[in-house]
Amino acid sequence: MCSSEEADLLRLEEVFSATLARTNSLILQPLLSADPEPSDPCGRECLGLLQQLHESSQRLWEVTEQSLHSLRQRLHHPPSVGLETLLLLNSADHVLQAHMEYIKSYTDCVVVQAFQKVSKRRSEYWRSQWKKLQQLLSWASSEGSVGTTLCQALSQPLTQHVQKYILLLLSLRDTLDKRHPAQELVLHAVTLFGNLQSFLGQALDQAVATQALWYSLTSRVRDVLCTPAHRLLQDSQDIPVVVTPLRAERVLLFDDALVLLQGHNIHTFDLQLVWVDPGPDKRALRILTPEEELSFCTRDPRDQVVWQWKVTQAVCQALHGKKDFPVLGSGPEASVPPDCRCLAYTFRREGRLYQATYEGDWCRAKPHGKGTLKWPNGRNHVGDFCQGLENGFGICLVPQDSEDKFDCYKCHWQEGSMCDYGVCEYGNDEVYKGYFQAGLRHGFGVLDGAQQASQPFRYTGHWERGQRSGYGIEDNSERGERYIGMWQADQRHGPGVVVTQAGACYQGTFQGDKMVGPGILLCEDDTLYEGTFTRDLTLLGKGKVTFPSGFTLDGSFSSGTHKGLYTQGVLDTAATPPNPASTRKRQLGLGAFPVESRWQGVYRPFQDFVRSGCPGELQEALLGFHVQSSRELRESQEYLSCERSHPKDCAGSMEDILQELLQHREPQALQQYLRKALSNSRHPLGRLLRTLMLTFQATYSGIGANKHLQGMAQEEVKQHARELWAAYRGLLKVAFQRQGQTLEEEDVETRNLQVHGLLLPLILPSFYSELFTLYLLLHEREDGLYSQGITNLSLFPDTKLLEFLDVQKHLWPLKDLWLTSNQRYSLVRDKCFLSATECLQKIITTVDPREKLEVLEKTYGEIETTVSRVLGREYKLPMDDLLPLLIYVVSRARIQHLGAEIHLIRDMMDPTHTGGLHDFLLTALESCYEHIQKEDVRLHRLPGHWNSRELW
Amino acid sequence: MMAIRELKVCLLGDTGVGKSSIVCRFVQDHFDHNISPTIGASFMTKTVPCGNELHKFLIWDTAGQERFHSLAPMYYRGSAAAVIVYDITKQDSFHTLKKWVKELKEHGPENIVMAIAGNKCDLSDIREVPLKDAKEYAESIGAIVVETSAKNAINIEELFQGISRQIPPLDPHENGNSGGIRLGTQSLQAGRRCC
Repeated sequence: MCSSEEADLLRLEEVFSATLARTNSLILQPLLSADPEPSDPCGRECLGLLQQLHESSQRLWEVTEQSLHSLRQRLHHPPSVGLETLLLLNSADHVLQAHMEYIKSYTDCVVVQAFQKVSKRRSEYWRSQWKKLQQLLSWASSEGSVGTTLCQALSQPLTQHVQKYILLLLSLRDTLDKRHPAQELVLHAVTLFGNLQSFLGQALDQAVATQALWYSLTSRVRDVLCTPAHRLLQDSQDIPVVVTPLRAERVLLFDDALVLLQGHNIHTFDLQLVWVDPGPDKRALRILTPEEELSFCTRDPRDQVVWQWKVTQAVCQALHGKKDFPVLGSGPEASVPPDCRCLAYTFRREGRLYQATYEGDWCRAKPHGKGTLKWPNGRNHVGDFCQGLENGFGICLVPQDSEDKFDCYKCHWQEGSMCDYGVCEYGNDEVYKGYFQAGLRHGFGVLDGAQQASQPFRYTGHWERGQRSGYGIEDNSERGERYIGMWQADQRHGPGVVVTQAGACYQGTFQGDKMVGPGILLCEDDTLYEGTFTRDLTLLGKGKVTFPSGFTLDGSFSSGTHKGLYTQGVLDTAATPPNPASTRKRQLGLGAFPVESRWQGVYRPFQDFVRSGCPGELQEALLGFHVQSSRELRESQEYLSCERSHPKDCAGSMEDILQELLQHREPQALQQYLRKALSNSRHPLGRLLRTLMLTFQATYSGIGANKHLQGMAQEEVKQHARELWAAYRGLLKVAFQRQGQTLEEEDVETRNLQVHGLLLPLILPSFYSELFTLYLLLHEREDGLYSQGITNLSLFPDTKLLEFLDVQKHLWPLKDLWLTSNQRYSLVRDKCFLSATECLQKIITTVDPREKLEVLEKTYGEIETTVSRVLGREYKLPMDDLLPLLIYVVSRARIQHLGAEIHLIRDMMDPTHTGGLHDFLLTALESCYEHIQKEDVRLHRLPGHWNSRELW
Repeated sequence: MMAIRELKVCLLGDTGVGKSSIVCRFVQDHFDHNISPTIGASFMTKTVPCGNELHKFLIWDTAGQERFHSLAPMYYRGSAAAVIVYDITKQDSFHTLKKWVKELKEHGPENIVMAIAGNKCDLSDIREVPLKDAKEYAESIGAIVVETSAKNAINIEELFQGISRQIPPLDPHENGNSGGIRLGTQSLQAGRRCC
C-alpha cells in the first residue's frame, strides 16, 4: 500500500519538475541567448553566472526527476519496493546538495544584479513575455521591473517547494509506526529540509542585502567590491562603529573580508587573517590583522556583542572554507576561531617586510611557529618565528648581485636578528662559524677566507659587534705567517706574537695593525734579538743581539744603501754565556695573554647557558646543529626547508643529560660518564671540548708548531681542564637545582685534585699531538744527545754496562742465566732487568701523566723484585744502588724523545704531588736522562782490550 | 685536627756514609710505615708532631757517587731541609760535606735548613773527624749538628726533631710554597689516620 502522503509527494515533484522545465525555457534559455559585446566584461561575467545557474537548475531538475522516478516505482510496486527506496529519504543529502548549489548560483546572480543587467538588453522581448512570467509566480506585484520579476520567478518555486517537502514529510512520519524502519530516515529528511529552509532564507536575505548595498556606495568603491562571491554580513550603517586608529567612514563585514571605507580608500582584510579580541571596555572590540591593529567602538554594549559575534563567526566560516549550514554560527566547527593558523600573506606596508610573503604558522596576527618568508628580491627565510620576528633556528638565503650567488645564514635568531651559534656561508665563499649577537658576529667565531681568494686567511678568535676584537689567531697563508694576539676594531692591537713558516717568531706590541716599538725576535737558529725591526724581520734601530754562542751585540742597526745590514755597536764576546737554554727555550706570549681570559668567548656561552638554568630551547643555540651545506640548499631553493637532525635524536634532551649527571657521581662512574660525554660532540661538554680543540689546533698546529709557544700551549691545556671541570660542576648544580637541592661548594684542594686527577687525563688525548710536538721541538737538542747516549750504551753487553755504570756486582742478576761465566760476562745483552725494561717501555703507550708515573713506579717494583731475588732476601734499594740500576734500565728501554716525555709529565702532573713519591720517581728518571746525555756516556768506548778474540 | 705540613728533606753525602741507614732507622717501626708508599730506601716518609703542627717528612735520598754529583740539584730543589751526612771515621767524607754545604749555599733553595749528621758514632775509637771540628763548622754555617749511630739508633730522632724546630711556623695568612711547604689532600688523609 502506498500512503496518500506519498501520492502527494509524487504530485509535488511532478509540479516542481514541470516548473523547473518551464522556467528554463521561459527565462534561462532566453537570458543565455543574450550575447554580450566582447568588450563588456561585466556582461560576460553575468553570462557566466547565468550559465552556472542554468547548470545547477538542470541538476536540480535531474534530481527531481530521479525522486519522481523512485516515487513512481513505489506507487506501482508498493509491496516489493520499500519506503526507504525513495530518493528523498535515502539520499536526502544528495537532494539537499542540488538545492544548495542552485541557491548559490542563484544568489551569485542576485548579488551582481545579473537578471537586471541582462534583461535590460532585451527589454522588448521580456515585455512580450510579461504575461507568461506572471503565471509563474503565485504572488507577484504587477508593478515590479522585469529584473525583479525574473528574480522572483527563479526563487519563489524553490522556496515553496522546500516548504511543502517539509509539510508532506511530517505528515508521512505521522502515518508511520514508531518502529517502522523508515522512521529515522524520514526524520532525518525532515531535519535536513528544515535546515535547508533556514539556509535558503538566510542566503536570500544576504543576497538581497548585498545587492542593496551597492546603491549606497560610490561607483568606484562599488566597482572594486561588487563580486558575485561577496555577501554582506554586517554594515556599520545599521550598527555604527567608530574605528581607530585607521579612520573609517564605513565598515562592511563580508563573508570573506572585512572592508573599511575611507573616502575612496578601501582597506580590505582577509578574514582568515583576522583575530578578534574583546576590547578594553564593553563597548569596544579589537581587531588584529597582520599589519593593522584596529579598535572598533560601538555606542552600546549590545552593538559590541553583535559585531563581535558576527566578525568571530565570519572568521570561523572563512577558516572553515564553506558556508555554515544551516545558518552563520551553526557550523560544525568550533565557534571560536583558533589563535594559531597556517596561512600565506603578502605584506603591503613599507618597511622590512614590504612585499614579502609569509607562508606558515600565525598566532594572533603575527607569524609565529614555522614558516617561510620570501622577499621579492629572492631573499628567503625558512625557520621558526615568534611574534612576527625570526626567532629560533632559521635558514636565510640572501641573493647577491651576481646571479647564482647567495649568502646563506644557518643560525639561531632572536627577535629578528642572528643570535647565538650560527654558520654563514657567503656568496664569496667565505664561511663564518661562530656566535652572533644582534645580527653581528660576537663572541667566539671562525672566519675562513675563500680557498681561491687572492689573500686566503683564517681567523679563529673573538669578535665584538661584527669586528675582530679580543684574543684571536689569524693565518695569512700568503705571507706564511700566523698572528696570535689581541685585536681591536678588526686590527691587530695590543700584545701579539707572530710565527712564520720559516720558524722565526717574534713578540711585540701592535697598534693599528702594525707592530710598534721594540720587540723580541727569535730566529730559527736560536739567535735572540731584542729591539726594533720591520715586518720583514729586518733589524732597524736600536737593539741587542744574543747569539747562540752567548756573544752579544748591542747597537743600532740599519739597512745600508747597498744590500746587507749595517750596524754600529759593541760586540761582547767575554760576557759569561748565559744558560744556553734561556734563549733556545725562551717562551713567548706568557703573561701577555693571561690564560684565564684567553678563550673567554668559548667558555662564556656555556657559562651563560648554565647560569640561565640550561633551558632546553637554548641547547641547540649552544651546541650548533647539522644542516645541509649551502650548495645543497641553493640547488633545492624552491623547496627550501629547514629540517635538520634534531639534537634530541643524538644526545637526548637537556633533561636526560642532567638526569644522567646525577646518576654518575661515584669516581668510577663519573670518569666513565665524563669520558663518554667528552667524546660526544652533541653533549655540552663534548661540544665545548671540540671547540677548544679547534682553537688549540688553530694556534699550535702547522706554523704554530714552534717551540717558543710550548709554554702558552701547556698552560692553555691545564686551563681547559679547569674550565671543563667548572662546566661539569655548573651542569651538576643545575641538575641539583631542578631536584630542589643545592650543590655543596667544593674546596680548592678537591677541585685541583679533580682537575688534575680526573679531567686533565681525559682531555689530554685531544690536545696531545700538538702539545707533544711542541715538547718535542723544545727538547730536540737534549733528546738528540740522549739518543746518542743510548745508542752508544746499546753497544755494551749487559755485564759491561752494569760495570760501566758502577752497579755493585752483588746486584747483578746473572743467576738467572744458564750460561758459562765467560758467556755471562761477554755475550749477554738485553737480558738483565728485562722485566723492568719492558715495563718502562710502556710509558709511551699512554698519554695520561698519572698512568705514566704508575708505569714508572711499577718499573721500580720490577727492579726491586729482581734485586731481591738475586740477593735472596728483601732488599730496599738506597739511591746509591738505585740510580745506576735505573740508568741501566732507561738505557736499555731506549725510549725515544724521553726529554719531551718527562717534561710533559712534569707539566701535566698534579701539583699536589710535588715533593712526593711521583715527583721523586720523575726526578730520578730525569736524572737518568740527564746523565745519559753526558759526554762520558755518549762518547765512552768499550775498553780496547775487549774484543771478540777474548770471548772464546 | 692538627695542620699537616709536608717537608721535603734531601739526603746528601758520600756513598757509604750511611745516609739511607739513618733514614731507615728513623722511619723504622713507625706506625704508618706500611701505608706510606716508599721507593726502597730511596724515598721514604714519616710524620712527626711538632708543636701544634704535624710535620710529614718526605725524605729524598741521593746517589753519593762522585759521578752523580751534578745531578744533585734536581733532587734538592724545593727542599725545606737538607741532611748532610759524613762518616766520623772518614775525613774525606767530612770534606765532601763541606762541598755540599758550599753548593747548597750557592745554588740551593733559600732558607734551607741544614742538618749535619756525623754517622757511625758507635765507632768513635777509629774516629777521624773530631766532634769539635764538626761543631765549629756547623756553627759557622748556622747548621744543626749531631753525631748519630744508625746502627745503635743514637740521636736519630733528635736529628729530625732539630730540623722540625728550625722550620719556621706556618704563617696562617700565607699558604706559601716557599721551602716546599704545602698543604695537600694526601697529607690531610694521612693526618686523619694519626689523630
